[in-house]
Amino acid sequence: MIVADKKPIEEIIEYLKDHTNILVLGCNECVTVCEAGGKKEVAVLASTLRMHAQKEGKEIKIDEVTLERQCDKEYLDEIRDVIDQYDAVVSLACGVGVQFTAEQYHSTQVYPGVNTCFMGATEERGLWTERCQGCGQCILATTGSICPVSRCAKRLFNGPCGGSTDGRCEINAEVDCAWQLIVDRLKALDKLDEYEKLCPLKDWSTDRAGGPRKVVREDVQQ
Amino acid sequence: MGCLEGDCHFNNGNLMARRRVEQAQKILDSIDIGGERVKMYNLSSSEGPRFAQYAAEFTEKINALGPNPIKLAKNKAAVDPATRDMAETN
Repeated sequence: MIVADKKPIEEIIEYLKDHTNILVLGCNECVTVCEAGGKKEVAVLASTLRMHAQKEGKEIKIDEVTLERQCDKEYLDEIRDVIDQYDAVVSLACGVGVQFTAEQYHSTQVYPGVNTCFMGATEERGLWTERCQGCGQCILATTGSICPVSRCAKRLFNGPCGGSTDGRCEINAEVDCAWQLIVDRLKALDKLDEYEKLCPLKDWSTDRAGGPRKVVREDVQQ
Repeated sequence: MGCLEGDCHFNNGNLMARRRVEQAQKILDSIDIGGERVKMYNLSSSEGPRFAQYAAEFTEKINALGPNPIKLAKNKAAVDPATRDMAETN
């Protein structure tokens, strides 16, 4: 899932200082799971903003809506009839949701309410870690299902660098060396011979190096 | 008020409540209302006198802190015609 983290309330208050009709817009998908932008977080943020406004003696209207997704037009259409009531939207979706909401409603200012961080997994409640950078050319089949693109600080493809010590990365002793994890996994799978195979030069044009990307699937297009 | 930690009928209900109270304190601090206006106490159901002691202690603390800033702002708007007119216009 896409992992996001809450933005400091002071930052959001600053965005909204000139607005009086505000919609706090949550998303029921990834940001709900990582407890940054679901219905519950929408309610907490809206209450906080209301309390702040009341304390400042400012009359503002703040409504709350949480959509199934903000990255699909069909769900964003659910606010089409009410969007004109607001002069600002605080979207608690990931950066995709913020942008897609703004694309559908050009005349309304849409502010981000979270910091979108990475694609990752829930290790435990309150702890999410990165697993994928969406490089567009997955090599997990040859690396024991451990990704050196997202988990190796140097994105190395043919074994660890000299900074790998006792299975830890030189950037931080708490970070596992991705290549140590890969070797350990290949050993467990009895596939250590895979480690001997050189990984060819990666085509980074499918990563960010090629600019904004798109996936076209003619088989499912209508 | 919650049960003593490690002695909750709902196992970890009081621990979850503690985290929520801490979160509420942070939110109130972040908008300058004051996190000290919320506090969690732990005691067992047989500690009546202690309950009374905590209630008295917190009442005293809240009284010392004075009215919450939201109430002050509302009162100010009610008595200040300029502010009240502005609020009505909005």
